[in-house]
Amino acid sequence: MTAAIEVVDLKKSYDAVEAVRGIGFTVGSGEIFGFLGPNGAGKTTTIKILCTLLQATSGTARLAGLDVAASPNEVRRRIGVIFQDPALDDRLTAEENLMLHAVAYRVPRAERHARIDESLQFVDLFDRRKDLTRTFSGGMKRRLEIARGLVHRPDILFLDEPTTGLDPQTRARTWEVLRGLREKYGTTLFLTTHYMDEAENCDRIAIVDHGTIVALDTPAALKQRVGKDLVAARTADPAGLSRLLSEKYGLASTPADGGLTFLVEQGDAFIVKLLTTDRPPLEGISVRRPTLDDVFLSLTGRQIRAEGAEGTAAKIRAMVRRRAG
Amino acid sequence: MIEVVYALWRRDMIKFLRDRRQLVTSLSRSFIWLLAFGLGLRSSVRIPAGGADYVSFLVPGLAAMTVLFGSMFAAISIVWEREFGFLKELLVAPVPRGAIVAAKILAGSATALIETVVMLLLSPLVGARFNPLGALASLPLLVLFGMTVNALGIIVAARMKSFEGFGAVVNFVIQPVFFLSGALYPIAGLPRGLRAIVLVNPMTYVVDAVRGLCIGHHAFPLLLSTAVVVVSALILAALATRSFSRMEA
Repeated sequence: MTAAIEVVDLKKSYDAVEAVRGIGFTVGSGEIFGFLGPNGAGKTTTIKILCTLLQATSGTARLAGLDVAASPNEVRRRIGVIFQDPALDDRLTAEENLMLHAVAYRVPRAERHARIDESLQFVDLFDRRKDLTRTFSGGMKRRLEIARGLVHRPDILFLDEPTTGLDPQTRARTWEVLRGLREKYGTTLFLTTHYMDEAENCDRIAIVDHGTIVALDTPAALKQRVGKDLVAARTADPAGLSRLLSEKYGLASTPADGGLTFLVEQGDAFIVKLLTTDRPPLEGISVRRPTLDDVFLSLTGRQIRAEGAEGTAAKIRAMVRRRAG
Repeated sequence: MIEVVYALWRRDMIKFLRDRRQLVTSLSRSFIWLLAFGLGLRSSVRIPAGGADYVSFLVPGLAAMTVLFGSMFAAISIVWEREFGFLKELLVAPVPRGAIVAAKILAGSATALIETVVMLLLSPLVGARFNPLGALASLPLLVLFGMTVNALGIIVAARMKSFEGFGAVVNFVIQPVFFLSGALYPIAGLPRGLRAIVLVNPMTYVVDAVRGLCIGHHAFPLLLSTAVVVVSALILAALATRSFSRMEA
């Protein structure tokens, strides 16, 4: 079986800035593959190159065996793209948007209506098909875009930050739709995100920072790499506990609200050990497995935050969020 | 290919017909000129040849102006669509760039034509007198001119980084083409320098031909004017396709 996506040493520079500095990876057919990283890491640039919207400075990218630079039209026919910013014509109805797409992708005339209806039902928007999309909420627009991406049955669906700016319920619903998509049509999904919990939905994740892949594995394996669990202890005497941890176990701890936190291997066993030792009184103690946040932190020394925006629309969205929040 | 062009053309037409503001804006622009300029100057301006009154003299010029503004704005909408998304959907679709440009040009000139026809139909209300058959015969020329302007607009839009440059387009493209075209005054008897500029402006020939057909007053042979319009439409359409294909999203 040919790989759905095959990228070798991909680079892209804008003037003096190197946005992508030698990225390489392979995505299998039917896989859900995620690019995780902060804004400005090169995620959107990579997706644009794969979707034939940008020319790479060097390196190759093949989709279903086709070179994106050499045969862009062949590639375009096989992919669907859902952009970070809605790319709907908001003065057309939901149905009209999908029909335009069906014609552009040369869906056979006889099948168009059936496919459009099926896609709209799949994302639960069939009842709103005659409404102008400008009357839709953000979540509905995103679902409509997913429906549109399905009309021509692409082999690979690209999603750039598919749930940014959506509320948690809508995000969960969007993911139900995406997983259903893979089950029903075997579609390969390639997505970018800076949400850790969203990355958990992927089969494999490439963690991207400053234009390179710093790690690539399944979410579970990535978390295992951190190797340690995070223990949070509540105590009235954090200084005393901190001294005990460093002197007796050689563990560094960080002060936290009402106590402290520290990283340790096999946290559950360590807690038992700690409880049976002579120690300052504890009010509570918890242990949790590392999250992808901790993975990113351990790999890059920084936390992923939605800092800096990638475009005007992102800025506007951020502004709206600030006002709403 | 033809089906895609038609679908994209239809999309622009649907939006034009759904949102009447564009038509109202265009009509009010023409009628402000007709009322304030035409009626205002009618008694003091005497057109040398033909003896037409100034309002009737102005109508062909304003018909071309309507096409100029309408078709240019239609093309500049590409910048808006690039900034707010929809253009990307088109650019990742397996559609030749030429088809997108063709649809834009055809739709832009068609909507501008509708605006012009409504303007011509209403202009007798303010005292304009012209040959209705001549007006009908000038529509193909106005459509061609609409395509030319739309193609020019696409070239401009492909170079614009954001919608903020819109004011500059009005200032440095639309207004010079309009004011230096003979739409508002006869070109006979212009100072030599001004006349030279007016003569290289394709709009001058459109206005002259339409005026000839409508009120029998013209400076160039109809064939020459038609040739100028056809050639400039072809050149600009080719250049528009090229700049649109090179544009990065």
